[in-house]
Amino acid sequence: MATSPGEPEDILRPILNTSKKYYIAFGIAAAVALLWSAVYGWQLEEGLIVTNLADWGSGGGSPWGLYIGAFIWWVGIAHGGIILSAAVRLFGMKRYQPVARVAELLTLGALSMAGLYILVHMGRPDRLVLSVVPAYPWTVRTSPLAWDVTVITLYFVMTATYLGLTIRYDVYHLRDRLPDYLGPFYSLVTLGYSETEEQIIERMVWWLALGIIVLAPLLLHGGVIPWLFSLIPSMPGWDGGVQGPQFLTIALTSAIAGVIIISYALRWGYDWDHILTDAMFRGLTNWLGLFGLLFLWLQLQQVINGVFAEPVAGKTAMVARITQPYYIVAIGTVIVILAYVFAQAVDQRQFSLVRSLAASFLMLFATLTEKVLFVFEGLLYPHFSLYEAVPGHYFPSIVEFSSLAGTVSLCTLFFLVIVKLFPVVELHAVEDHHDEHEAAHDEEVTS
Amino acid sequence: MSTEDTQDDEPRHPYESEDSFHPLGEEWEDRMREELEDTEYDADLGMQMARDAQRLVAGEISEEEFYAEYHDDVEEEFEADDRPLFDDVDPAEWDDIEDESVAESLAEADLQGDETSRREMMKKMGAGAAFLGYGAYATYDFQPADGAPDNVSGIRPAPKDEREHRWGMVIDLQRCDSCLACVAGCIDENGTSTGANWMYVFTYEDEDSEQENFLVRPCQHCSNAPCAKVCPVRARHTRGKDGLVLTDYETCIGCRYCQVACPYGVNYFQWGEPDVEMSRLEHLDMRPEEVRQLEGGDYGDRDSERYQELSDANDHVYDYRGRWTDSRPPQGTMGKCTMCPSRQDGHTDNPKGTVACMDACDAQGMSAIHFGDLDDEESRANRYLRRRTEVERTVLEKWEGVEDDDLDIETTASPTSEISTFRLLEDLGTQPNIVYLGNEPGPNAEQSEPPTPYEVYSGSNNKWGVEVVDERKEHLDYGPSGPPEQEGEEGGE
Repeated sequence: MATSPGEPEDILRPILNTSKKYYIAFGIAAAVALLWSAVYGWQLEEGLIVTNLADWGSGGGSPWGLYIGAFIWWVGIAHGGIILSAAVRLFGMKRYQPVARVAELLTLGALSMAGLYILVHMGRPDRLVLSVVPAYPWTVRTSPLAWDVTVITLYFVMTATYLGLTIRYDVYHLRDRLPDYLGPFYSLVTLGYSETEEQIIERMVWWLALGIIVLAPLLLHGGVIPWLFSLIPSMPGWDGGVQGPQFLTIALTSAIAGVIIISYALRWGYDWDHILTDAMFRGLTNWLGLFGLLFLWLQLQQVINGVFAEPVAGKTAMVARITQPYYIVAIGTVIVILAYVFAQAVDQRQFSLVRSLAASFLMLFATLTEKVLFVFEGLLYPHFSLYEAVPGHYFPSIVEFSSLAGTVSLCTLFFLVIVKLFPVVELHAVEDHHDEHEAAHDEEVTS
Repeated sequence: MSTEDTQDDEPRHPYESEDSFHPLGEEWEDRMREELEDTEYDADLGMQMARDAQRLVAGEISEEEFYAEYHDDVEEEFEADDRPLFDDVDPAEWDDIEDESVAESLAEADLQGDETSRREMMKKMGAGAAFLGYGAYATYDFQPADGAPDNVSGIRPAPKDEREHRWGMVIDLQRCDSCLACVAGCIDENGTSTGANWMYVFTYEDEDSEQENFLVRPCQHCSNAPCAKVCPVRARHTRGKDGLVLTDYETCIGCRYCQVACPYGVNYFQWGEPDVEMSRLEHLDMRPEEVRQLEGGDYGDRDSERYQELSDANDHVYDYRGRWTDSRPPQGTMGKCTMCPSRQDGHTDNPKGTVACMDACDAQGMSAIHFGDLDDEESRANRYLRRRTEVERTVLEKWEGVEDDDLDIETTASPTSEISTFRLLEDLGTQPNIVYLGNEPGPNAEQSEPPTPYEVYSGSNNKWGVEVVDERKEHLDYGPSGPPEQEGEEGGE
């Protein structure tokens, strides 16, 4: 319960103090990221032959695998994060205001990781810019991958703008207490700031939030990313208009899980029990359950459609999916998580922070598994199945698995750097819970 | 042409916009103007002609009007107006003419005698105007032509009257015994790596037949190729002039979306270092960018500097545009059957209109593969198709006139031919350019052991000494260092 709302001092603590925990976390994340960059260097040198990918057809493999699965997973986290933050601003969901910025930052971090996966997946990453740009006016009309790049860029710009606008207020009002060595950075983000802009900024942010909420289901996980697959007629496992909603539920579920994990880490690291309250975590856990339920419901839609009187190719693909042990584990995991979520909703005593944290980790594991399976299982059961080598086989190599550790570490590093730059909890969230900004400002400025 | 693509995108012809008549916008137009101003001719005239050329293409003004409008100006500027006169044209052909871009007619005009190549002339005449008009027409139709702009290729063959050929094959499955000579011929020609069987032959069993059936599977060179459509960089593209579906190895970023989108499974990625080094494929001592920079000609132009260089070297790597599209791909890019573009462009010692797999099949005395221009009724492919169906008709004709009420000919045989023809997965709308004679595999067909194993052509039995296998995955799983024992590798040429 938010009986003692936080103070500005609280949100400044990560910037001003560096704990032993921070150094350990930074050290581990940096080491893992470096290790992976060496592994990626090896891949650059030898080519994608260091993965377990291969050609479908007579080749007997899958040309896309963990890299694309993880790419979708990161985009999903990113996408859900910004929706959460936009919902807070648009519908005034005050309870979640302390995590709104965490969700925005998660979007930026996760989108960067998704972009990195595009690079890692390429046979010739060196050509990415020189090949994509000249043909772009033509390819954007026909290639879902070109749409994809467009929309990821759009979301990155929107989220960065959003963040850039909202931190101006915080930095300006806390400037006196922020460290001087970052002076140039703070001058840059508050460039041209005047107190009169606050209302305008607030309105701009509201409209941006509206834009994000409106565009989100149409683009990114609701549209462009599932279209990468569902528009391909040769792979029946990817077929169907349900992919849009399905991807969206996975995105939202993964993002809530991500926000819970990061919020937990912040609360643990900076004693923010009074800012990131139990009540907020319980609310997030309920949302995790709701989106998880939608995820299962849409899986059921696909399974029933696939196994009941579907044309041969579609049925083969679906039967293969539901008998695949990893799929059963993933879906079983979601069911267990839902059991916990509904138990704690009915009986508050069942709730614990650690249980919600575990549920979030498990949910991210389940969504990642489902995404990777979706990608390569789709490719293993093509419409044209005369090849003896079809269905082929695929299991990610160590090189591919290491990219997961690498990107998670990089995203962690991103957060560890950000917490040193500006408050990751909005000043508004701790200033005053009664929405009387002006009084709070005055106090702020004079103190 | 893809009508649905054009219509939903831009209902109005781009020349109608006020800012810029060119669909690529003002910036493009300005660049064209700059180019025109670099020439010794009148840029304003060029731009004005280009604008009207677009109206002409849209059917707003007639070709006669267009001709008359500029006759004097053109004569003054170039001291001649050799654009084709309409008196020379049979009115019956007018419809055909109207379908062509006016740029084509402009480009035909030879202002400085026969020596000037068309491309050079276009440059000089400030037929940047023509270029503009042509480019606009092309993009409006969702069909960037080969040259407009130079670095972006199209995804469909040009319309019938604008293309030179539509290469394809007629494959007689009843003549195939799966000797795999075509597979080996392709490997010898292109130097593909182990397991990258650009030409592949299925042996399969079907429910209703006891016998072994074969299906010869090159790339289908679809006229509506899904692989070209989805490519995010237009490395996978369709050559407008002859419909070949090719990969520009210098543009490909290796995302493998073409492989994912192709319903036939004909793509083979170069996961690691290719088995055959470039030095063994390349007969030309030039870098790819140098080849592109050579003065090149249009399709079929035998006088250009590039053509001379490539044909002198018996080159099998570049096409007429100087693009690296032939032979095996370099590491990190996508490869597949090319239908030998360097042969079709006349660079190699092998004649135009042949492909390596067909030559190998003929050499075995099988002649199951018949490559040719499917647009041309007299091509080998079409003649074979005709003769084969005619033979069957004569068998049928034997029954004609036999009056036997118990024998219902209509139901025992097809009225035209007993031999069936089909195109693979045609219902997916890909418009494949391989026509098969024989039985189509049914939904429950299953691939079986081939009578000749792929491995037979390994080592010294191919030109490069590479290993040949059916399924590639196991070979790739060895990783970058390759299989532990490399028996028979490094064989001589």
